[in-house]
Amino acid sequence: MFQFDTLSLVFVALIFLGTIPNILYSFGYLPHIQRKMHYQLHYFAFIFSMIGVVVAGNALVFLFFWELMSLTSWQLILTEVKDKETIKAARFYFLMTHFGFVFLLLFFLIVSDGNLSMNFSDMKNIATAFAYPTLLFFMLIFGFLSKAGAVPFHVWLPYAHPAAPSPVSALMSGVMLKVAIYGFARFLFDVLYPWPMEWGIVVLVIGSISSLVGVLYALSEHDIKALLANHSIENIGIILIGFGMGMIFDSLGLKALSTFAFIAALFHVFNHMSFKSLLFMGAGSVLHQTHTKNIEKYGGLIKSMPVTALTFLLASISISALPPSNGFLSEWMIFQSMLGSHDITDTSLKLAIPFAIFALAITGGLAIACFVKAYGITFLGLHRSKNAKHAHEVNFLMKSGMILMSLVVISLMLFTPFYISWFDKTLVSLHHVSVYAKMFPHEFINMHSVAVHGGVVSPLILLASLLGVTLLLFFAYKALHVKTKVYHTWGCGYKTSAKTQYSATGFAGPIRRFFDWLYNSDEHFHKERIGEHETKFSDSSYEVHVKPLFERSLYEGSKKGTNILSYWVYRLAHFEQTRYAAMIFNLMLLVLFSYRIFFHDFSWATFVLESVVMIISVKVLIIGDKK
Amino acid sequence: MILYVTTIILLLLLAPILLSFIKSLKMLLLFKRPSSLLQGYRNFSKLMQKETIVSEETSSITTYAPFLVLSPLLVTMFFLPPVVHGAFYVSFVDAFTITGLISLSTFFLMLLGLDSASAFGGMGSSREAFISALVEPAMVLTVFSVSMMAGDLGIGQAGVNLAEHFPKEHMASFLFAGISFFILLIAENGRIPVDNPETHLELTMIHEAMILDLSGVYLAIIEAAASVKFVIFASLFVSLFIPFGLEYSAPVAILIFIAKLFGVAIAVAVLEVNTAKLRLFKVPNLLGISIVFAFLSLITFYVLGA
Repeated sequence: MFQFDTLSLVFVALIFLGTIPNILYSFGYLPHIQRKMHYQLHYFAFIFSMIGVVVAGNALVFLFFWELMSLTSWQLILTEVKDKETIKAARFYFLMTHFGFVFLLLFFLIVSDGNLSMNFSDMKNIATAFAYPTLLFFMLIFGFLSKAGAVPFHVWLPYAHPAAPSPVSALMSGVMLKVAIYGFARFLFDVLYPWPMEWGIVVLVIGSISSLVGVLYALSEHDIKALLANHSIENIGIILIGFGMGMIFDSLGLKALSTFAFIAALFHVFNHMSFKSLLFMGAGSVLHQTHTKNIEKYGGLIKSMPVTALTFLLASISISALPPSNGFLSEWMIFQSMLGSHDITDTSLKLAIPFAIFALAITGGLAIACFVKAYGITFLGLHRSKNAKHAHEVNFLMKSGMILMSLVVISLMLFTPFYISWFDKTLVSLHHVSVYAKMFPHEFINMHSVAVHGGVVSPLILLASLLGVTLLLFFAYKALHVKTKVYHTWGCGYKTSAKTQYSATGFAGPIRRFFDWLYNSDEHFHKERIGEHETKFSDSSYEVHVKPLFERSLYEGSKKGTNILSYWVYRLAHFEQTRYAAMIFNLMLLVLFSYRIFFHDFSWATFVLESVVMIISVKVLIIGDKK
Repeated sequence: MILYVTTIILLLLLAPILLSFIKSLKMLLLFKRPSSLLQGYRNFSKLMQKETIVSEETSSITTYAPFLVLSPLLVTMFFLPPVVHGAFYVSFVDAFTITGLISLSTFFLMLLGLDSASAFGGMGSSREAFISALVEPAMVLTVFSVSMMAGDLGIGQAGVNLAEHFPKEHMASFLFAGISFFILLIAENGRIPVDNPETHLELTMIHEAMILDLSGVYLAIIEAAASVKFVIFASLFVSLFIPFGLEYSAPVAILIFIAKLFGVAIAVAVLEVNTAKLRLFKVPNLLGISIVFAFLSLITFYVLGA
């Protein structure tokens, strides 16, 4: 019924690391919530169900907890219903999560032959005997990656995460998405193990696209929590790139590289949990104080909220993959595993991998830009609104939650070898080779890449040298006893005010303009001109709205398609009896003709004749005259 | 070990001179009277003596960020490839770490720009963020390609390998990577045609806009960081793409290295005199060329082996 193997236990550890600071934070956040009982009940049930998912030993238990997880998180989104948007977001989330659930159920029904209380390991035999393993693989992709938020199933994230209370968005983004990754990994390894190479490529492509799409839409976002939600899409993409590389290497027989890539992905799972939870907590604290999610209304919060600002800075550095943070280490590992691709002999595959490297690298660059924007506009400069002016540091419990989570971030950075040894053991338990000895051959200061002539990184030396040099510079500066004078920022003779600063929209302007073919943004520019002057105006406003491409094409498109289809069905349903009889007649004609074509002889002449008869009969009998 | 330390100190001392050299060479080419080579030092010492004016709108970021801008670059200095054959060098640090350290420095510089609540700072940060986001993939791909040819991912080791076995058989991809890296050198250091370090016009400023509200020691630190960054890029370019002259005795090899650095400076100066600054939205085209060359380099290496 339950199983506690290494993979499960690693994810249990992940859930504990993610939830314990979150519980503290959540208690601090509680006075802010009106329906306390409802919130707490669902909050703890949510945590419980996530643990249930990762320790489930058979399909029935797994599906039960999976569904419990979906339902409780759905209710948690509905904790504070302020507007219709929240309800819409919750409904969308409900729909998407059950879209995935259907595929999971189908998957389990196929691989367990209807006996849902079967062990995962027994499913393997049935899955191997099944004629279309790729179908099963795609069911996993639909089922789990729609929960994890990979493209093209990512659309619900930027709606659901901002709607939930902040501790819940931290949990959903930090931990729940990882539980979906757990499910993906679990059934890939346990049930579908010998993977064809194409599967790995599919995962790699999904990962690359997700990472790019996530970061690009994050840049154009003004709602701080939606921005972070878009970054979750990006990071899930990065995790999937690691996963895909692992699968490709495994199918090519490069076992050590495969383990290395999977370790990188797992490490990034942990890192993303830590810094994304921290970022959502920070965003929650800011939101708690300023009562707005609009990033343009913040500013100067570092002065009134130093703890939040410092922890947010730590998380920003980490998510931007800047050394020596933990985010850098896992991205470094993923890069290194991709550089191992020069062992591959297949030239076309070899040529394809630089494109994934390109995607990951440009993602890194854009993530830096995005977090400079998020941090700079939120915490630096002058207050952009009254709400930001009256903000204070949050209460003790919330602060301690954030500090605890930043300790998790720091521990992932300092004790990398320790965590890597966990992941290595996990991979060994999943019948991969161990690479721990290769990664840390001499001591645990340097981390080596497994690839031939691979790189080496030493987080501790980097951290120590950066700290050392910075402190040295700082003390040298102190020793100089420089005279300082405080004065206003120079504003070209005008008064420096909040309005003269750069806004978030303006900051992302160049990038938005460069990627305009993707954003297809909707600009609203309004100016109250004085007289007929082009340049003199009393009031002006500029707004940009970006509707994500996938939502525009895939989701709106399928909505339109369904509408058209249902219109025709509607028309059919309101015919009179004679038309029904005509339809039956046409159907019979069709059956007869196709029987002749498919099972007797086929000749073009009769085919054309029959088609003409069919078309005329449909036109005359069913469609009739246009009114 | 002595050579290692000497080289680093020498490079640090050389850093302001190189930038002053570019400036005076440009003036010479434009028939102006050139400024002194020691102008960088003069500026530095003058700024150190001045009192520092801190804007009252700024926060603790302005107090600490200048040091965090300089320190990753100083740390990077220790990871550069050796100048003399047989000298001590840190072999293992790979290009991702170096790229990351440079990005860390840029990250704090961009925060510094946003901290002073001035429109200029935000403008500079925004543009810098735009350009450095596009530089990153080109950098990673170029370095990937070079490290393939050198047979090692560690930058130090790659420099030594290239000096010992110059990849004659991979000349085509080597050249492509070289072109790509030179474009990056220009873009990352804010030289014409990407940015003009000499004007303070809001249409063209990128780097200068971010640091417009700094003064005194803080400005000195940031200026120092800019020159250190140029030295890092120039010496990476020299060690990876012109890897000759390491085998001579120490003083000669160091002199050759310095001559090569000045060679890069001359190339930059000549380029600056002969090109106009690009509009901001044309800069991605230049960086796109760099990315394409990096891809070409990898593809020729893989497919043709050349």
